Amino acid sequence: MKTFEYLVADNLDAAVAEYGAGKSMLKAGGIDLIDRLKERLELPDSIVSIGGIGALNYIKQDGDAIKIGCNTTLADIGRSDVLKKAFPGLHEACASAATPQIRERATLGGNICQRPRCWYFRNYDIHCLKKGGDTCFSADGENEYHAIFGDGPCHIVHPSNAAPSLVAVDALITVKNGKGERQIKARDFFVMPDKNLYAENVLGPDEIVTEVTIPKAPEKSAWLEIREKQSYDWPLVAAAVVRNGGAWQVCLGAVAPVPWYSEAASKVLGSSEMTAELAAKAGEAAVEGAKPMEHNAYKIQLVKVAVKRAALMAAGMEAIA
Amino acid sequence: MSEFWRPDDRMALENDHPRYDVTEKVTGRAKYSTDYYPDKLIWAAFIRCPYGVAKVTNADVEAAKKAPGVLDVQMDKMDGVYCGDHLGTICAESRQAIEDGIAALKLAFDIGEAKTDPLKQLPPREQWANFTPPTGGGPAGRGGGGGRRGGRGGRAASPEEIAAANAAATGADHMIEAVYETQVQTHCCLEPHNVLVDYRGDHAIAWGSSQGTFAYRDQLTRPLNLSADKVEFHCEYIGGGFGSKLGQTPEGVLASQMSVKFNRPCRVLLTRKEEQLDTGNRPGSIQYMKIGVSKDGTIAGGRMVAFGIAGAMSGGGGVRAVPRYKMTTPAVSSAMDVTLSAGGVRPMRAPGAPQYTYAYEMLMEELAQSIGMDSLEFRQKNDVDPVRQEMYKVGAELIGWKDRKASKDQKGPIKTGFGVAAGDWGNGGFGNATVTVNIYPDGRVEVLSGCQDIGQGFRTLVGDCVATTLDIPYTYLAVKVGVSNLPNGPGSGGSSTSRTVAPRAFLAAQQARDGILGLVAKEMKLPDASKLKIEKGMITGDIKPMAWTDACKLINGQLTYTTSDLPEGMGQNTQSQCVQFVKLNVDTETGVVRVEKIVALQEVGKPVNRNTIENQITGACIEGIGYALFEDRILNAATGVMNNANLEMYKCPGAVDIPEIVPVIWRSDPNSPVNAVGEPPSVPIAGALGCAIYNAIGVPVRKMPMTPRRVLAALGGEKGAVA
Repeated sequence: MKTFEYLVADNLDAAVAEYGAGKSMLKAGGIDLIDRLKERLELPDSIVSIGGIGALNYIKQDGDAIKIGCNTTLADIGRSDVLKKAFPGLHEACASAATPQIRERATLGGNICQRPRCWYFRNYDIHCLKKGGDTCFSADGENEYHAIFGDGPCHIVHPSNAAPSLVAVDALITVKNGKGERQIKARDFFVMPDKNLYAENVLGPDEIVTEVTIPKAPEKSAWLEIREKQSYDWPLVAAAVVRNGGAWQVCLGAVAPVPWYSEAASKVLGSSEMTAELAAKAGEAAVEGAKPMEHNAYKIQLVKVAVKRAALMAAGMEAIA
Repeated sequence: MSEFWRPDDRMALENDHPRYDVTEKVTGRAKYSTDYYPDKLIWAAFIRCPYGVAKVTNADVEAAKKAPGVLDVQMDKMDGVYCGDHLGTICAESRQAIEDGIAALKLAFDIGEAKTDPLKQLPPREQWANFTPPTGGGPAGRGGGGGRRGGRGGRAASPEEIAAANAAATGADHMIEAVYETQVQTHCCLEPHNVLVDYRGDHAIAWGSSQGTFAYRDQLTRPLNLSADKVEFHCEYIGGGFGSKLGQTPEGVLASQMSVKFNRPCRVLLTRKEEQLDTGNRPGSIQYMKIGVSKDGTIAGGRMVAFGIAGAMSGGGGVRAVPRYKMTTPAVSSAMDVTLSAGGVRPMRAPGAPQYTYAYEMLMEELAQSIGMDSLEFRQKNDVDPVRQEMYKVGAELIGWKDRKASKDQKGPIKTGFGVAAGDWGNGGFGNATVTVNIYPDGRVEVLSGCQDIGQGFRTLVGDCVATTLDIPYTYLAVKVGVSNLPNGPGSGGSSTSRTVAPRAFLAAQQARDGILGLVAKEMKLPDASKLKIEKGMITGDIKPMAWTDACKLINGQLTYTTSDLPEGMGQNTQSQCVQFVKLNVDTETGVVRVEKIVALQEVGKPVNRNTIENQITGACIEGIGYALFEDRILNAATGVMNNANLEMYKCPGAVDIPEIVPVIWRSDPNSPVNAVGEPPSVPIAGALGCAIYNAIGVPVRKMPMTPRRVLAALGGEKGAVA
């Protein structure tokens, strides 16, 4: 990595001011950023760290809402009895991500803002579309881990484990800059590459994610990942299913450049009582519109199974019959 | 429990003593080469080609030399032929300065067409049954192989032999004609390849991570222009070596050159990316097999054709074919290597064997299936080795083979599969090694061998040889290994370290024992020491029992025994047989494989330390799980870039992926030589896993790694075959 000045913020206002000045990159746990620095994908002159701001690390109930500070680590969420009871889907997504060591460093804010793990994007020597080049190498290359939804032009999958559950439950993401703060619906927070090739969310260059609000804990929820390895691996496909205000919602992970809210699967489930047949139908519906590439058609089958099983798990039923 | 396996029959030097260096390792007191930071340390690195084939169009050497901290920059060539190829070298005051210097080079390339698809270099699939390699391309083999195949020269099979083999296969009751593919597996040593060379004019001291203390030292003598006695090489602790740290060490040459040039200690330490790109690999293979079988399970013979997938700078893609099953007409084999624009081959734990055994065992499974015979029964009918015949019976009990069911007879999406595979390893050659035992008046015993402990427990092994022979508490022992000014020992390759050094350690210990007993006899005015012995730290016999420490007080100065001799009976060539059983579950809706249990039966000859032997077997099984299910060097087809040159996307097994592993030290024989245990257990594991998956899902997955994608493809009818 290139040498840089390292600024440690001890409060949010100082961090917002420094970051807003536009010369620093932002670091919380650093899990994603340090990888990119080491690969020289980023060459900042300075970095401002918010990782030490304890006031941003909390899980609290506020009336019906649950609020989670951006510095809350995935391990903190994994240890939270509140979330385990109120939102088991999100709890499981965070508690099962990566490795114990990574979960102790990785923050919720960082998890939803992390850059894609696409092996072309992550390689300094490949000048891909997302880095200002003119080719998405996955289109004609090795795309077994890439997207089956969305029409490109970039075919990354969004890497966040937490985000699909947040989208499914209609969470709100609070962001702050020098002018104030705003709340963005999780479903509107992420952007497809045809809208913005160079970012995966709507954050302005001076904005920091400070909090995630779950307006009301879902009645039911589940998270299911299908992975090659059971230790330290990214999902091939993941599904978040919640029942929120009586209606089932389905959002997929690792299949599209954003957490992929499945309107079709959600519609099939509607507000019905769950059955094995209904769950299977939701799985079938979830792959509507999928356009796999040369090496990732297997993800179609995985989506069907992940949605079916996650729906059954959310309903408290046997997932594998 | 079977009469063939007695849990207590693991004696010999059985003692379960923990590793001698366990405290040093867990407390961090064990110093690895990167723990040494001498004053005025400088760093050096290779400037590498980032693409499979590329011509350098810009390299601003002058700018790089002016970068802060940069001492030296040199471009040696402008054409790279694999991703990671050395184009030049750089030396600087720090690692950061190296990186800044390489950035200042502003390297630019014309990217050429990389060779990334081995199939493009092979004849069409329909010609494989009659394939013979171009001149000198590979030997004909016999009997299910016939020795190592691939790129070794030798007589090619004649058209008549090939025609007869094809006829044997097609004329049988059933025939399996299949293509099995194995991927390239990279070395993933936890400790990267590294070396620190401190040249001091008339001598040099170096610290490195190596599988050969003395070979490494000898290699350093050339760039240092010093004789071997003037170079002291240290590798007391090593964070893993599986063959890649055996031979060529360009890092050592570079560090030496720069240390001489700047008269300062110089370190070369590879990054994880460099490790993945350029420290060698287990080559891939494409193996065509066409073998017939009769209804009663007799294997008829046929064809075996192996295409090895090597790197740009090397051959060595051959598979190690060992005939383990009887065939009425020996199979006729042919082999050829193809080269890719990619990092080259280096030895990796049982080179050539796991890739052949995966294909061979999958074939056996398919042959058994084709005639409706239980696959264990099929092996018992055809296996040529009597030891493995016994192992089948014991292993079947330990894994619960009786619970094995066909896929179609199991309900639900999760299917259980059982698999079995056989392996072997030759214990030939006992090389040169010297061991010294020093005994001091305070009772301390020093055991000296310059041979390296690559993590397998060599330090524990030589210590145990001496402690057990002397029968004294381990607390008296100090074992010093891995320094070139200690007595000579072999490199750790071919699973030869223990079998070469242990006999000398036993002999030196026996001489030391005789020496101390002789002193006691003299002191006690006995005519000789013939009736004296050491038991649990006490000298006993015709005397009032005397404590070891009291006996040692009789020593004037120190007692030293050094031997290079091979004791009688410890030098005969033997085979280490092994059989492994696997039980696993496959989710047929997702293709995900979860291994539940492995039983690994391993012949080891005279076992020295159970703990380290079982560690070796267990480690081989874990490595085999990675090989069979996860690991794969994935090249970008267009550029030859390795897409997954890290430990995030190059997938080694983690804790949750590791099943219950039951290592069984097979019928220990205290009168046998100490046999190989590093490599043999890594031979059958991928084959056993493949066979178990086949049993679980009812169709073979003929391509490794057997990922969910490939399992689903097999279930979907594609059967994982190429072409």
